[in-house]
Amino acid sequence: MNSKNLPKNTSRLDGCTVTGALTVTAFIKDAATIVHGPAGCTHQSSSVFHSTMLYNECFDIPEIFTSGLNENGVIFGGEGMLRDAIEEALTDDYKCIFVVGTCISDTIGDDIDAVCESYDEIPVIPVQTSGFLGGSFERGFISALKSASKLIEPDKINPADAGQSSSFERPENNRPVVNIIGEKNLEYEAESNFSEVKRLINLLGADINVRFVRNIYVDDIKKFADASLNVIREDPTGEIKSHFDNLTNIPSISSYPYGISGTTEFLRLAGKYLKISPARAIEEETENQKEMFSQFEDLKGEKISFDSFGFQKTENSLLGEIAYYAGIVTNPEGTVIPVPFYTPVGTTGVKRTLMQWRRFINA
Amino acid sequence: MKQIALYGKGGIGKSTTSANLSAALSEKSLDILQIGCDPKHDSTRMLMHGEWIPTVLDLVRAKGDANLTVSDVIYTGYNGIRCVEAGGPEPGIGCAGRGIIATFQLLEKLEALYGDVIVYDVLGDVVCGGFAMPMREGYAREVYLVTSGDFMALYAANNICKAIARLSKRAKPCCFLGGVICNSQNIKDEYELVSEFAGRINTKLLGFIPRSQIVRIAEVNKQTVLEYAPDSEQAGIYRQLAETIMKNTPDPAKKPTPLSMDELEKLAQKYITA
Repeated sequence: MNSKNLPKNTSRLDGCTVTGALTVTAFIKDAATIVHGPAGCTHQSSSVFHSTMLYNECFDIPEIFTSGLNENGVIFGGEGMLRDAIEEALTDDYKCIFVVGTCISDTIGDDIDAVCESYDEIPVIPVQTSGFLGGSFERGFISALKSASKLIEPDKINPADAGQSSSFERPENNRPVVNIIGEKNLEYEAESNFSEVKRLINLLGADINVRFVRNIYVDDIKKFADASLNVIREDPTGEIKSHFDNLTNIPSISSYPYGISGTTEFLRLAGKYLKISPARAIEEETENQKEMFSQFEDLKGEKISFDSFGFQKTENSLLGEIAYYAGIVTNPEGTVIPVPFYTPVGTTGVKRTLMQWRRFINA
Repeated sequence: MKQIALYGKGGIGKSTTSANLSAALSEKSLDILQIGCDPKHDSTRMLMHGEWIPTVLDLVRAKGDANLTVSDVIYTGYNGIRCVEAGGPEPGIGCAGRGIIATFQLLEKLEALYGDVIVYDVLGDVVCGGFAMPMREGYAREVYLVTSGDFMALYAANNICKAIARLSKRAKPCCFLGGVICNSQNIKDEYELVSEFAGRINTKLLGFIPRSQIVRIAEVNKQTVLEYAPDSEQAGIYRQLAETIMKNTPDPAKKPTPLSMDELEKLAQKYITA
């Protein structure tokens, strides 16, 4: 039962479960997502999509379908309306359909799973997302990742020696490949963060396999099991890692690299899983970091303090490390620096952070 | 206009009581509307001579609520009694509670809620807000609890009593407990038990309907007792009940006092061991 319903317990991430799910499913380009609920549920999420994506200069806004549940549907059951919506989506050229449930469809007890199971032309996959059960944006996001993982073909998954025995052809150069899991598609820096992780993976002599799920096609997901390593964008509860560990037995790193030591640690860990010696990559990256800090000599000895403005948790240790390497002093009297909502990723993230600090200090 | 609702455990005889009550009231040349508020839609069957009239929700499903008229939903039965069945979804799907709400909103829109007496025959156990709606929204001004001396029947009546008690705490309460009607199951000391129960929940026993074969015979003949055997003793009992209810005006100051589970059990035990 819902145990998380007090306003004091809500945070910025506690938005609608449906929106959380859509930020995953709507980014599979040849899949349709049907929100089974009143049209408003879809509209609400679409609005967030439109505004956030346009703000991020992303104009390829996904279409989202609604079953348009109305009072008749609520009284007599909405499964018929859902079927109509699925039938309509089936007439288009989609490779997969996701059905995202809502508070309403769950309250009246529509059997979404059974409806989805009755189609076999293409996969029709239910996503558990009724927010009133205590779920949040994050819950919808995780639920959708799990649902989308059903597209990884079962016969291509071999937990015993994943990544070794796939029937898919390896890239010609035979470099090991890495899956990226759970990118935050509405995040402002999704692409630059990905580029940073890709750069580090390339540094080790490996390539990116599947971005699960960002702007990919259903067929891309089929080569998921080729990877020797999964890198998860963020996984505070450990639920995503444990799901994919159980599903594919591909080892996972639970988070993008953060900060200076975090970035070298990421290279070490990734090297271990990819069975590649990380020594050269770490050496190169350490040089890169030194060179990067040399661009901020002017900030040495400056005083700064961090402020979260009371609306998010302050995790200062990482920012403290950046300040330490840059020779900046943290002092309550110093220039107030707002704590970023998302922690900066990799060395490039640190560089962007320092550029921002410089703006504040020189302001 | 007197608006009364009969609530009580499923199978206790609310529909039989409601139909006979409506029939008895109609003999007084009153304009009666009986609304069955249960998805199983068997409330008005005896008044309609066994005809299963189309339910409001079936009509909504078939024609859409915008296309319905009063003549679609209201059927005239025995002695001019106007009959409505709310109906509901097929078992296992949808939300019957929301269906009741939709029915009432539609009847209101159609201006069908008029007459000297409206009898709401509500489903046995109020399971959600939808079924509490007739009393919550001021449609049913007086609630009568139909029970027998059976423990579970008293339990259900006590639960309805809790709902009324909760509603009576509102700033402008519009629904009051009218009293208890005992539809006898020939349980030993039943009259005393149900009388004491009524007193304990701060109301009174308004009528005691003895178990009678004539009710079953009338039912098989698709008629109310009032119609099938108007001169029978049982018909007289329903007339008496109708008389009592027409004269009864619940005192708004008198709040119902539902029993705790413990108290209810002790009450039942008292009459079992006696």
